[in-house]
Amino acid sequence: MKVAPRRVLPAAIALGLAAMLSMTALRAAQASDAAPPRAPDTIYAKTCGYCHGHNVGPVIRGRALPAEAIEMIVRHGQGAMPAFKPTEISPAELSALAKWIAASKADSKEHGQ
Amino acid sequence: MSGISRREILRAGAVGSALLAGQAIASPLGGPRMMPASMDRDVFAAALKDLRAIVGVDWVFADETSTASYKKSFIPDPLGQHIPSGAVAPASVEEVQAILKVANRYKLPLWPVSTGKNMGYGMATPASSGQMILDLKRMNKIIHVDAELGTALVEPGVTYQDMHDYLEAHNLPYWLDVPTVGPIVSMLGNTLERGVGYTPYGDHFFFQCGMEVVLADGSILKTGMGSVKDSTTWQAFKWGYGPYLDGLFTQSNFGVVTKLGMWLMPKPPAYKAFMVRHPNPEDIAAITDTIRPFRMSNLIPNGVLIMGAAYQLAMFHRRDEFWKEPGSIPDEVVKREAAKRGLGMWNTYFALYGTDEIIGAIEPIVRRAFEASGGEVMTAAEMTGNPWFEHHQTLMRGGMTLEEIGIVRWRGNGGGMVAFAPVAPAKGEEPKGQTALAKEIMGKYNFDYAPAYAVGGRELHHIIFLMFDKSDPEQEKRADACMAEMITRFGEKGWCAYRSAVSTMDLVAQQYGQTNREVNARLKQALDPNHIIAPGKQGIA
Repeated sequence: MKVAPRRVLPAAIALGLAAMLSMTALRAAQASDAAPPRAPDTIYAKTCGYCHGHNVGPVIRGRALPAEAIEMIVRHGQGAMPAFKPTEISPAELSALAKWIAASKADSKEHGQ
Repeated sequence: MSGISRREILRAGAVGSALLAGQAIASPLGGPRMMPASMDRDVFAAALKDLRAIVGVDWVFADETSTASYKKSFIPDPLGQHIPSGAVAPASVEEVQAILKVANRYKLPLWPVSTGKNMGYGMATPASSGQMILDLKRMNKIIHVDAELGTALVEPGVTYQDMHDYLEAHNLPYWLDVPTVGPIVSMLGNTLERGVGYTPYGDHFFFQCGMEVVLADGSILKTGMGSVKDSTTWQAFKWGYGPYLDGLFTQSNFGVVTKLGMWLMPKPPAYKAFMVRHPNPEDIAAITDTIRPFRMSNLIPNGVLIMGAAYQLAMFHRRDEFWKEPGSIPDEVVKREAAKRGLGMWNTYFALYGTDEIIGAIEPIVRRAFEASGGEVMTAAEMTGNPWFEHHQTLMRGGMTLEEIGIVRWRGNGGGMVAFAPVAPAKGEEPKGQTALAKEIMGKYNFDYAPAYAVGGRELHHIIFLMFDKSDPEQEKRADACMAEMITRFGEKGWCAYRSAVSTMDLVAQQYGQTNREVNARLKQALDPNHIIAPGKQGIA
């Protein structure tokens, strides 16, 4: 099988500049399309709550868990939990979500494992 | 073991977080920065600078902390061979084109993902270390839903949850067909991997219609009817004119798919879920032979699941509740614990759809056949409240659930799981032989056989979930070796996987033969001569 050589053209670095200028305008146009941050309870209901408090993951509401640790676990996906990327839950959304979980009251309908 | 538990991190708060970060740096993933293969550090830095100019500084991730989410996977990777160098996240087709230009210029390998939730097969991680993740999640528009035709055109970042919410918000009479982890998974990503679901629209690629692909040179291909000027049929007719190209871009690295058309199932007036319990491991043969004619005639129209009892138990329980020995959990223990929970050794879930009259006419025929095979046929009348029945009842109407993630912590909090998915023809002796072989090999490695057979028209995807504790390096190595032996020995009998984890893509590709590999290599060379898109994907360099 043929495999392309992985060599890098020295001039390639300079060639990037032209593309950079045109992309700045494109990015500015797209910034206005960005969706507003979702509320913490919405993210919890449509992501976290499918496992936590629902047979799969541990209950995390009403335990005053530290917000910093929640953020770290969401990004790293500790153990059997998947990691969630900044493109899935933005840094601003995650910060608000972690504080919301930390301050939340227990929900008697939730049950963990 | 890792030495730091989740409980300790939670208790310690910010200090615990720092410990975890420190642990990540001290792990095999840390040390010298992961780089694209054969690329100098200054060249990589220059490439990153160009990528930041395209997507903005917030959407290029190339340091230890910001790439953490992209490294996470459940599969065994004892030698650290699937570690990305970073990630770049475009927001538009134009940005994808610009990124590909940069990648060609620097020979930077890019591993495209939609949401990166390929759970049993490596999440977002690449086939080889050093590739940069092309994270398409920000492209998350539902571009069009045709309320009359029941078709949708979506971008890569659209999850099944997003579409579910859209259909509800617009009160549209359609159902989705979801994989087992629908809420956080991309419709486009699952379909490109040729994933399956559990309604009559369960073969996702079969119900796909038209795609937009950015090729490595930046040109844009719209497949099927999509390239026709002013076409109104892109999502209505799959085949287009001339060679059918869509298949080339599934399980492939020939382009970056940026839009995908899908068909949605009209919501039926009536729906009834069934569960059939069989008591013995060897019953898999009779179950298969019973289902086959119903699937071939479409009398049972949906993607049927035959769930092994160990898999079912693992969803909501942990191994040490039932078995603390290192060897595989014995059948009699599985059978006993399953029976306590209203489960058989095999639990077959199917459903009927249509009107009450249609269901009323078909049910007695199907019921008689399953009872003749030794099964007990159950419905909501007997099983409401049973969490396994409720789960599958939800799946078979395209509902949202993540309950099957529970299997990942069967062996412990470390979490570990990889799927091996050989195909079997729907003839009883073949799955029976596959089950026996899988149990023998997994027993040798002290793992538990936890299967799910997903029944297609004439075949079964035998999805074998190898569950291990990834925080135990010895178990991780053993899982890796067990998977390699299973693939190899199944292959010797002519049974090969329909899909594979990033760690075994080359091994599986070898089993499909040299000519197959060479044709793929020639296509790759023609479409992506610098091999910048996902080298190693499905064994294609």
